[in-house]
Amino acid sequence: MNIRNFCIIAHIDHGKSTLADRMLQCTGAISERDMRNQVLDAMDLERERGITIKASAVSVNYVHSSTKDKFELNFIDTPGHVDFHYEVSRALTACEGAVLVVDATQGVEAQTVANAYMAVEAGLELIPVVNKIDLPSAQPEAVAMEIEQVLGIDAQECIYCSAKTGQGIPELLDAICDRLPPPRGKADALTQALIFDSEYDDYRGVIIYTRIVNGKLKAGDRIRMMGAGRSWQIGEMGKFTPQMTPFKEPLEAGEVGYLVASIKSLEEVNIGDTITLDAHPAAEPLAGYREPQRMVFCDFYPAGETQFETLRDAIERLRLNDASFTFQPHHSEALGFGFRCGFLGMLHMDIIQERLERESKVNLVQTAPTVTFEVLLNTNEVIQITNPADLPDLSRVREIREPIVKVEIITPTENIGDLMKLCDNRRGVYKSQQFLSESRQILDYELPLSEIIYDFYDKLKSITRGYGTMDYSMIGFRTDKLAKMDILVNGMPVDALSVIVHRDKAPTRGRALLAKLKKEIDPHMFEIPLQAAIGGKVIARENIRAMRKNVTAKCYGGDVTRKRKLLEKQKEGKRRMKRIGTVDIPQEAFMAVLDFGE
Amino acid sequence: MPCIWQHHGEPLRADIPALYIHLPFCFHKCHYCDFYSIVDRDSQRHAALVDRILDELAYYRNRSDLPDWRPRTIFVGGGTPTFLEAGELTRLLRGLAMGHASSGPFEEFTVEANPETLTDNIAELLVECGVNRISIGAQSFQPELLKTLERWHEPSSVRRAVKIARAAGITNINLDLIFGIPGQTHRQLEDDLDRILDPELSPTHLSCYSLTYEPNTAMMRRLELGQFKPLDNHTVADFYATVRQRLADAGLKQYEISNWCKPGYHCRHNLAYWTNLNWLGLGPSASSHINGQRWKNVPQLGRYLASSGCPPRIDIEHLPSVARIGERLMLGLRLIDGMPQSIVDSLLNEDASRRSTFDHLIEIGMIERKQGHYRLSEKALFISDTVLAELV
Repeated sequence: MNIRNFCIIAHIDHGKSTLADRMLQCTGAISERDMRNQVLDAMDLERERGITIKASAVSVNYVHSSTKDKFELNFIDTPGHVDFHYEVSRALTACEGAVLVVDATQGVEAQTVANAYMAVEAGLELIPVVNKIDLPSAQPEAVAMEIEQVLGIDAQECIYCSAKTGQGIPELLDAICDRLPPPRGKADALTQALIFDSEYDDYRGVIIYTRIVNGKLKAGDRIRMMGAGRSWQIGEMGKFTPQMTPFKEPLEAGEVGYLVASIKSLEEVNIGDTITLDAHPAAEPLAGYREPQRMVFCDFYPAGETQFETLRDAIERLRLNDASFTFQPHHSEALGFGFRCGFLGMLHMDIIQERLERESKVNLVQTAPTVTFEVLLNTNEVIQITNPADLPDLSRVREIREPIVKVEIITPTENIGDLMKLCDNRRGVYKSQQFLSESRQILDYELPLSEIIYDFYDKLKSITRGYGTMDYSMIGFRTDKLAKMDILVNGMPVDALSVIVHRDKAPTRGRALLAKLKKEIDPHMFEIPLQAAIGGKVIARENIRAMRKNVTAKCYGGDVTRKRKLLEKQKEGKRRMKRIGTVDIPQEAFMAVLDFGE
Repeated sequence: MPCIWQHHGEPLRADIPALYIHLPFCFHKCHYCDFYSIVDRDSQRHAALVDRILDELAYYRNRSDLPDWRPRTIFVGGGTPTFLEAGELTRLLRGLAMGHASSGPFEEFTVEANPETLTDNIAELLVECGVNRISIGAQSFQPELLKTLERWHEPSSVRRAVKIARAAGITNINLDLIFGIPGQTHRQLEDDLDRILDPELSPTHLSCYSLTYEPNTAMMRRLELGQFKPLDNHTVADFYATVRQRLADAGLKQYEISNWCKPGYHCRHNLAYWTNLNWLGLGPSASSHINGQRWKNVPQLGRYLASSGCPPRIDIEHLPSVARIGERLMLGLRLIDGMPQSIVDSLLNEDASRRSTFDHLIEIGMIERKQGHYRLSEKALFISDTVLAELV
């Protein structure tokens, strides 16, 4: 059997999932009738948002259109969003080749470049595909030239196709057979299988996505995870066709499939670990993956009727499904008991929050996201904090360091000036600038992560009218004039609103933050002073004036029930907020910290 | 639907001091009005309604668990009661008076009247039937503001109506005034107050409401359509302060959030609502409250007329005690003198969390203790909903 393992990589929205769907259809893996958009994106949220969150794998049989040779194609769909770099990297190591999809109307984008480099580093053969050639605004040849210019792949190698109409798909499938190398590895060697993804099923437990690198595996085998050191018995093993289909015969070197082994939690399974046979273990594990890096942190607190225990159960349940976020119990002076959670990025955080609320019906308050800071103490000890409220007393602190990322932006040339201004405002350090084509450039900056985690991407999109794209990667920690700014509401410090800021920007940030708070907090029965302070020194203040009028003028016999219900509704609305001291603060206010005052 | 008392098999055995009659007929629907009212000049329907209301009264009168029942107050509202054809109105009022065991005047017998429809004839007829209080909707004396409200009467007709009522011997007169009407200026408000307080009018009782945009009214629809700009909260609050000051200066005592009177002229009927006594409502859409149960008669004239005895009811509520406590506070604290401390304490004794909320409201100066009563502070009067929402 000829096997080709490949993944599809692309910038977000360049039509990767649609291409995968069309390839499934062309190989007959799914019928016309079952064809729905984005077959591979199983999660509701994915289909709603039109993005792929988790990678999926599928095996199909294909007959080469000219040689009539039979092939088994295993392809792996990868997420395109910048937050899910790690998931992309996992998928890559299970393959020998990658189909690089570029939108014929958009051209090369930041994540096209980032993903392509990742694939090349992983030793993958690339097939460039120019997609969406059916659109009137498509410029396939120009895009092919961009690919040549930026990635150094001969424009002649590009395959032009339209995932929407199906044009060019057979050529692409043939090219996958012709140009990609067959899997290396031997079926008679000691077994080594790579775990490249996993998911949780309520009935079957953990489902492991695996690529057999050497040897073979079958249902009933007793396996050992070489990293974790634990043993399990395979209950079921099979392939995605695209539905999970159990196989009796063993999966051999080069093949991709799944296995189920009564594993109760995703935490038991480390992505990147090597599976071997318990009785005849391989001498060494495969080169592993790194731990996913949590870039963004925030707190979840129960609100309204939701109890701490209910929230904990909800988070634990979700964690079974997504081991890439972290959580630990946390206590806030202002908000009580909750959880500090770490995420791959902002989108990941949004998704987790939405899934918690949607799938477990919990009511929660989410604090503004922050990054990890390194704090050098006078004792020369270095500690990491993910919450400004945890910053030790400044007399013990010698230095605060913040994470810095390398940001690569691809933008129309005309927006370069405005983007540079944006980056400079965000304490960016200019690195380089390079022409991509006559009308587009690549701009490189180093920026503090804290300056880009929230609205930087939105700003970039609005400055470039949607044409600009970006990608970022962590380069290390750096010190700066950083300080903790405290926020006092009605005289009480609200730790969940504390933020670590650059001293020069503190007054502006403080004023913007208070203005936002003023907008979010409804007038109360009394006046509410708002203050921003650094080390006890007030640097900005605002006042929320007392409510002036809220009266039911008429309340007679026939009005009693309705008026009572109205008041109960008012009260209910408040119950969904967090009461700090005597002030009711809505969830949105905790995100006020993110207002940069630009 | 069976009668709720029958349904629960509970005897009435209630002291019902207040009787309300709802007459839905009106010759025009004012745009702020959210009462059940219909424009209908068909005298046959008028007669049928009177028959049916008297039938409903007879149903209660005949109940063995209401022996010798006689309300202390009667309030005939609407709609426009005086829009009813004179003969039918007489038949209704006589029937109400005669329908009760012992005779003699009621403590308070109010009929609402529209300034335009009150004639010498009707006024005399009201007096003959035992009516001793009249409530006239003046709303405003500014023609352009009346137009905004879609209220069709000449400002001068209010003075005429008051004169007619007094001539007929009705000295206890209430006027309704609305403030905070879109476009209203402070000067216009002062002018309205000047006119109200003029000796020629000088009513014994005054209901002074800040305009409320009730759901399902034409006013609300027009607001949503952006046909006018509502006054901002600060202006309306200033207006309320002016109203309170001017009326106090003129010797009228404010005894409820929107009600003032000369000494001794409280509206006894409405006090039954605020002190959470029992009351019975007759007619389509009329509400009743007996021993913690609330309901509303069906608000469709046709269905009401088609029934006999106990009419179909909607919005039937039997409040749990915790909600009843909230309701009693919500209503009782609308009174300017507030609620007797002993009553409040006994209500809160059963409810620790409400007690701590109450204490907090005292602490932040929203509720104060005065002369053995708990009451809203002056500040709290302007934001009473926010304060009371804490207690429901």
